[in-house]
Amino acid sequence: MITAIINARVLDPASNTDVMGGAIIEDGKVAAWGAGIQSAPGSSGQVIDAGGLCLAPGLIDLRVKTGEPGEEHRETLETASRAALSGGVTQFVVMPDTRPVIDDVALVQFMTRNTPGIEARIQAAGALTTGLEGQSMAEIGLMKEAGAVFFTNGDHPIEDPAIQRRAMAYAESHGAIIASRPDSASLRGSGVMNAGPFAARIGLKGMAREAEWIGAARDLMLAEATGCRLLMDQVSTPRTLGFLSEAKARGVQVASTVAAHHLFFNELDIGDYLTYCKVNPPFRSEDDRQGLIKALAAGDIDAVVSAHDPQPPEQKRLPFAEASFGAAGLETTLAAVLSLVHDGPLDLLTALRVLTCGPADLIGLQGGRIATDAPADLILFDPDRPWKCLREDLNTRSTNSPFDGRLLQGRVMRTFVGGRTVFERQD
Amino acid sequence: MARIDAEYAFKGPHLLGLMGLDPLQLTSILDRADQYAERARSGLRGDAVLKNKTVINLFFENSTRTMSSFEIAAKRLGADVVNMPVAASSVKKGETLIDTAMTLNAMKPDVIVIRHSASGGVKLLSRKVDCAVINAGDGMHEHPTQGLLDTLTIRRERGKIEGLKVAICGDIMHSRVARSTTYALHQLGARIRLAGPRTLTPSDASDWGAEGVFTDVAEALEGADVVMMLRLQLERMDGAFLPSRREYFRFFGLTKARLALAAPDALVMHPGPMNRGIEIESAIADGPRSVITEQVEMGVAVRMAVLDMLAGGTPP
Repeated sequence: MITAIINARVLDPASNTDVMGGAIIEDGKVAAWGAGIQSAPGSSGQVIDAGGLCLAPGLIDLRVKTGEPGEEHRETLETASRAALSGGVTQFVVMPDTRPVIDDVALVQFMTRNTPGIEARIQAAGALTTGLEGQSMAEIGLMKEAGAVFFTNGDHPIEDPAIQRRAMAYAESHGAIIASRPDSASLRGSGVMNAGPFAARIGLKGMAREAEWIGAARDLMLAEATGCRLLMDQVSTPRTLGFLSEAKARGVQVASTVAAHHLFFNELDIGDYLTYCKVNPPFRSEDDRQGLIKALAAGDIDAVVSAHDPQPPEQKRLPFAEASFGAAGLETTLAAVLSLVHDGPLDLLTALRVLTCGPADLIGLQGGRIATDAPADLILFDPDRPWKCLREDLNTRSTNSPFDGRLLQGRVMRTFVGGRTVFERQD
Repeated sequence: MARIDAEYAFKGPHLLGLMGLDPLQLTSILDRADQYAERARSGLRGDAVLKNKTVINLFFENSTRTMSSFEIAAKRLGADVVNMPVAASSVKKGETLIDTAMTLNAMKPDVIVIRHSASGGVKLLSRKVDCAVINAGDGMHEHPTQGLLDTLTIRRERGKIEGLKVAICGDIMHSRVARSTTYALHQLGARIRLAGPRTLTPSDASDWGAEGVFTDVAEALEGADVVMMLRLQLERMDGAFLPSRREYFRFFGLTKARLALAAPDALVMHPGPMNRGIEIESAIADGPRSVITEQVEMGVAVRMAVLDMLAGGTPP
């Protein structure tokens, strides 16, 4: 089976390609691609005329939470897969914060099983400590052999630095990557939004930036001491990135991710206690947001993640302080990042890099680039197409999107995994 | 029995550790131990060189094997032996370590054999007593008679130490055995590789005389003439330093496949007591290449030699 995608603006950040052309897909792989592709070779096969849409590698998302196993009413792997594909995400990493926690070989295998209905490529992150309790090291070596792509305590960063250090030392000897949320739980306390004048005015407890800085500084020192590869998960302030570049200069192997919503919203978007805007780390100040955008444009951020965290209405229709943290994000990541191309300093290839080859290369995933013989995980998208994000139109099972009601620009029109069309926008 | 009284022989006054002993001193102890081992095998007992002498086994940590070994060694040499498992005695009543030592010293023993859970604890006691002190293991520091018996076992099997490749695997960081054995073997010219999980391997082991410290056990085992597995304390395995027993066995356990990386006639050793199925497969522990019971046998011979050299007189 041969498929030719023609008449497309081919964007491949890995090779810095931006040309009009197309790609030939054969047996699920890219057989040829680039400016030379004008038609299918020979008469057989399907020809897709992209009509000038952008052709790019499928997006790769390093931070997705689902409710499976254990809380399927929030999201199953199947609904997450569907949401991902409609957002252009062809491969994503599921966090271990499930019930039970992914801290065992059998659960890693469960998460990454091939099941009809799940068409996105799913990777599992393993728990760093048993039950994410922050006490006993989980079976890092065995889970890595079973395919876990990195290890993390998810949204429960390890508080005890001695345990964190040992886990990092142990992970290092297995060549495993640790993803860690920079946080300092006791300092964050029971805060629910960014600490500052706005929190004070609306009477909500603040989460101080210092909690992130202290957590980041601690983990960077431990990464330096142990030689462990560290992925700093969801940086929310530019000052944290300053610590990172200082550590990098000393040879620490550290990379950073930023959640797409931190590039789009600031603390004021909470407005009238909008619980969909309650996330952890919280939306910060406009200065912080601008600082992150600047860093992204400068190439100082390695990957942008959705931080997809489906929360059902009963967890969000509550007073702000009582509502749970978390925002659905799989379907809005691309548009959020493209907004920085339309109104900001980013060019299209830089925007796509942190969504494709950037995250893929961080953890050594196949994909994230258009390359001959690589799996044909591709998207066709219209970078300019305007749309209004409405909860009821989303594919995710819990529709807790802070983008609800927002006008956005840029939309995925068709998604391919292994050369097969797994999503096609009808409207 | 021929006495070795050469200038260079080990003379004490204590045996607190193997670090600092030179090859000649080490060899003099091994030679004496070798003679005792041969005599024991031919059915002869000791020389009664410790007749009318008192040896106190002062063990602040529980031990069955080492204390019995010292007791048998001292009795074969004709000594009067008093075992004091202090874990359950006066120390519990609040007596300080030094008070205990001074009390015992006042009873005029000739040798005190001490095991203590604190590194340096034995040395501290040795300063307060007038008799010879033998370290039977102090914390994570040294276990000199174990180092000697390991060395003697290898020397008897292979006829030499020099040039042999020795892999020592397991919990290196907390192991006094690893330290003492590495010092002794290194002094005598062996090439030592240490291997263990990152959380249980110290970074400074090259200072001990090891060629390298590996977290991949295969690298340490490659071509080894001797494979020594260390005992893993079970309380270290449940999450604090290691995820689980099965993960340890998967990556560090001595299996048939792993042993195949070593030299075809490699010796398999273990200081005991073994955790079968965790650090070593039973089939290997009991297999033809295992010299684990010989280690126990050499333990008595080595302790006889050390007691003799520190406190022995002319046999009556």
